[in-house]
Amino acid sequence: MASTPGGFAGKVLRVDLSTGRTSTEDTVERYADVLGGTGLGYRVLWDEVPAGTKPFDPANKLVFATGVLAGTSVPCSGRTAITTVFPSCWPRALVGSGHMGGQFAAKLKYAGYDAVILEGRAERPVWLFIRDGRVELRDAARLWGHGIRRATLEISQEMGADCCVAAIGQAGEKLAPLATVVNSLSHSAGGVGGVMGSKNLKAIGVQGSGGVRIAGDMEQWGRLVRFHLSILGANNQHVVPAFPSREAEYYNPGSRWVGEPGRRWGAAEPPVEITGSIRDMNRIAYRTNSAAFFLGERAWKHTVRGNGCTSCPVRCHTTLKVPAVAAKYGVRDTAQGTCIALNFGRFFFPTLPDGPKGQAALEACMLGMIMADDMGIWSNYGQLQRDFIKLFKDGVLKAKLGAAEYAAIPWDKWRAGDPAFLLDLVPRIGERRGELGFVLGEGVGGPFDRWGIAEETWEADHATTYWKMGHPKHHANEDDGQCGVIINTQYNRDAQCHSHTNFVRNGLPLHEQKRLAGEIWGSPDSVDAPGQYTPMNPHKARRAKWALLRKELHDCLGLCNWMGPWVASPLKERGYRGDNSLESRFYSLATGRALDREGLDEAGERVFTLHRALTIRDMGARDMRALHDRVPRWVYEDPKGAQPFTPGAIRMDRADMALAMDQFYALMGWDKDTGAPTREAYARLGLDDVGRELAAKGLVPGGKDGGQG
Amino acid sequence: MKHGKHPPVPDFVAQAAQAAGLETELSRRGFLFLSAGAVASVAALGLCDALAAGRKKAGPPLVILDNARGVLLADPARCVGCLRCELACSEHNDGRAQPSLSRIKVSRALAYGLEGPGQGRHGAWGDGLVVQGVCRQCPHPVPCATACPQNAIVLDPDTGARVVDDAACIGCRLCQRACPWGMLVFDEARQKSSKCFLCHGRPKCVEACPAAALRFVPWRDLTREGPAPLATLSVTPGATACVDCHAPALKAPRPKTTR
Amino acid sequence: MKRAVLVAVRASSRAGRLIGLADVRAAVLALAAESPDGPPDQAELTDERLAGLLAAHPGVAAFASVSGEALYHAPDLLSRTYARILDRRGSPALLMAEEIRANSRDYPRPVPVELFEAEPFGLSRADIEAALKTLAADPECADISFVESSGGAAFLFSERFLPRGYAQFLAERAESLAENP
Repeated sequence: MASTPGGFAGKVLRVDLSTGRTSTEDTVERYADVLGGTGLGYRVLWDEVPAGTKPFDPANKLVFATGVLAGTSVPCSGRTAITTVFPSCWPRALVGSGHMGGQFAAKLKYAGYDAVILEGRAERPVWLFIRDGRVELRDAARLWGHGIRRATLEISQEMGADCCVAAIGQAGEKLAPLATVVNSLSHSAGGVGGVMGSKNLKAIGVQGSGGVRIAGDMEQWGRLVRFHLSILGANNQHVVPAFPSREAEYYNPGSRWVGEPGRRWGAAEPPVEITGSIRDMNRIAYRTNSAAFFLGERAWKHTVRGNGCTSCPVRCHTTLKVPAVAAKYGVRDTAQGTCIALNFGRFFFPTLPDGPKGQAALEACMLGMIMADDMGIWSNYGQLQRDFIKLFKDGVLKAKLGAAEYAAIPWDKWRAGDPAFLLDLVPRIGERRGELGFVLGEGVGGPFDRWGIAEETWEADHATTYWKMGHPKHHANEDDGQCGVIINTQYNRDAQCHSHTNFVRNGLPLHEQKRLAGEIWGSPDSVDAPGQYTPMNPHKARRAKWALLRKELHDCLGLCNWMGPWVASPLKERGYRGDNSLESRFYSLATGRALDREGLDEAGERVFTLHRALTIRDMGARDMRALHDRVPRWVYEDPKGAQPFTPGAIRMDRADMALAMDQFYALMGWDKDTGAPTREAYARLGLDDVGRELAAKGLVPGGKDGGQG
Repeated sequence: MKHGKHPPVPDFVAQAAQAAGLETELSRRGFLFLSAGAVASVAALGLCDALAAGRKKAGPPLVILDNARGVLLADPARCVGCLRCELACSEHNDGRAQPSLSRIKVSRALAYGLEGPGQGRHGAWGDGLVVQGVCRQCPHPVPCATACPQNAIVLDPDTGARVVDDAACIGCRLCQRACPWGMLVFDEARQKSSKCFLCHGRPKCVEACPAAALRFVPWRDLTREGPAPLATLSVTPGATACVDCHAPALKAPRPKTTR
Repeated sequence: MKRAVLVAVRASSRAGRLIGLADVRAAVLALAAESPDGPPDQAELTDERLAGLLAAHPGVAAFASVSGEALYHAPDLLSRTYARILDRRGSPALLMAEEIRANSRDYPRPVPVELFEAEPFGLSRADIEAALKTLAADPECADISFVESSGGAAFLFSERFLPRGYAQFLAERAESLAENP
């Protein structure tokens, strides 16, 4: 047997919770062609979880998997994917992944594992102890019913402060589809907490003293790492600062690069001033302040520092200290978060007394972070909050909650934009209490199934930003025209793809973006300015394909798709170019198995196509175009009646989108009518076993045998 | 010195006891700090022989008197917990990404601070502060160097840093036990100790830190500041213990004046 | 001499300042005072000679100031964009107009009025209001206009480069970024 290539830890841990048996497999022998991460997850689901398996059935599996680059000094390499039959996918649960950062990925690698496959169901609550080669299931009776904070503390007391704990809170224990798994305080994987709860698994504690072997020359490795650092921007790979700077020709007030010299982390002790060059490699951590980006100026004085995943210099989580929330609400004064989770609290309020960046907003966000990440509640990318508002405004809550329950909810606080409202609402959801608490935790499927609301009403309302199958848009036409729409059709939850939006929002002027686009995707016409959309062309399809494949690749390698790909950079001396081959260069050096960009992208395509196959198999249908790759009505409408392809309109055109899907399918080698991969497409990617199985079920285009005779 | 019921006292133990002025204790009570059982197991490990052999090889104990010329300073308020310092140290110096080998220690304080889970205020679950562990490059007497029976901790010629001579290290771990701040690293795979040696004057951790939380500055004595969290094992092997500390004063004391 | 000229420009840029020919000459003489070679020939120090040296140097950028004077900077230390902002700081109306136009033309986008309160513009609310009044009264600046976002924020743009409707869209989009993580 060949020795394990570098990068891989080498083993996959399999835990049968029904029997308590644990075993290991060789990662490379079984999974090298799907790399790791989501690829490994999809392969397990294909091979071992039959169609029709429901999320909370013991037969469902939960696959925590990281990738080859996790645990190394590759910037932005701290990610774990958690793949399963996804609970909030409506009306029929299909394959989906949650994603989390923090310390988990690195710790798992140091313990000697690339992935953990959780099977079956334990009879009683347990937690999984992993320390290097030692794996045990330990009793979790004393942890069950408690939040993630306490579970993490008690497991850390048993294992040591340097362990990493990934745990569910009450929401996951009670099988809420909108439940998370959380590690390292604020790093939450959406949607998968209930599956863990259904298996009676409270937490995984992992600790390891091992390391990741890098096969290639360490000098070369060090140079590539330094090169990667040199082309980094700030969060979401925004490559120009938000402020005019002596050190940059361009700036963008909307950039996430907000760390201007002169600003300070006001709640550090003593405060830390931002000084020096914004290009300094020793000051990358000062560029991003997510709290300041979302909550405005006042966040700076409450900023303790940045935080985030192992190895990442960006620190997109902000640690905030707000003494007022301790006094007013009886919660701790310190919390951290980023992005949608940072905004969990304030998004419940249609209005706040001093606006979206006022004091109430700040306090609501603190409460949201503290409570949601302890009870392990997922916002479904803000759909939870939007649904709550709409259900109230449409009178549904008044109609459907009993009179007593409705009266017990402090609506006056909500109307007043009083953050204290969250002290009532959030535990209802986390503990699944009452009709409201239960239904909200179901996801959009709750109102649809239990309250008889038609999906069409959500699809018609721009304000919901509802997309399909129980989930919202995630960087669609409002950001990126047809490219964004194509991307949003492809998954069974919100797309979680940022490859495209990181580029279009990077802050460079349009002419620079178009020049780079020409080099990367073959034509400047692959990119439009937002709201200046032009009719579909094959270059946009190529960019959409690139975005999807790279996202999948990042999810397989342990890389962060909220930062990568790194195709643009802040460096004027490079013409603002990044490097479109960075992933393959790192992969080759780490593993010792040379793969060029096309080679690694092909692996990404293999993984993405396997996801497609799983979706087709589990839907029992091959007409993806009609049944799966849907676009909600509101995308084709404009509230003011503006026409598609006019300046300032994000409205798309049906015929144009049909053409877009044609071009995308053609590029993927999928059947034009159905959007289903052909036998040839599967075979080309080394998925012939998959193609054969689907063909036998009539799920491949071109007749029962897929036209292969 | 022989004792009826116990195995013979090894020479170096007797000599150490004598140098410390404790030979009467030894004769009365048997071994001072090695119980019979411990000696048996130590003998079984071959450690006694190794120590004895090493002692013969290493000659008189190496006493480091010179101070290092530089030292690392870490600012906890700037630490963002990314662990790039630990990764840089192990990747550069051990050729693999393995923070457990890192000679700068941050992982251990990341979540709950140095006090541990539920015990203190710091770390990500507390007030957010991460207290980095850096080697103080102790002045004389250097605890790790003094503890080493092989004289395997020596001076780096570039920086004066105290550095483990890899070839000489026999993996006895006494240096780990001796460091008041727990800064020694033990590579289980290679069975060798290691410590911060300031990367020949260009510390990799300082280069790697994205928050400028680490500095490399001219050396000063940091050993008197801040609590030393660990009890240390005081070990002085070797026939002639440190003569400077244990010898009587060489000069007559100056008489007290009454004015 | 060539080196001295570069040193003078780079020192100035590093300090965040633009430098004209007179100050270049003064800096060169100051450097020469410490040099064993002694002061350079008067003929070397004419405006024409200095301007020629500066123009020929690839590491030096030049532009015509608001005042008409030639100004120099090292673009790797002080970007062209920033240099022009510095130059216009004495004339708030011009400063705002040119910045608004550049944003509308190059990115394109309208700019939030708060941009001009922050560094390096550093204008007070009163300055901004006065400047906007000046622009409104100046027929040369008829292109400068504003839109108001639904959040009540004012975004400034140039109609020469950005149609009003599109400017409105971009203003709404800018405001929505913090609600569209």
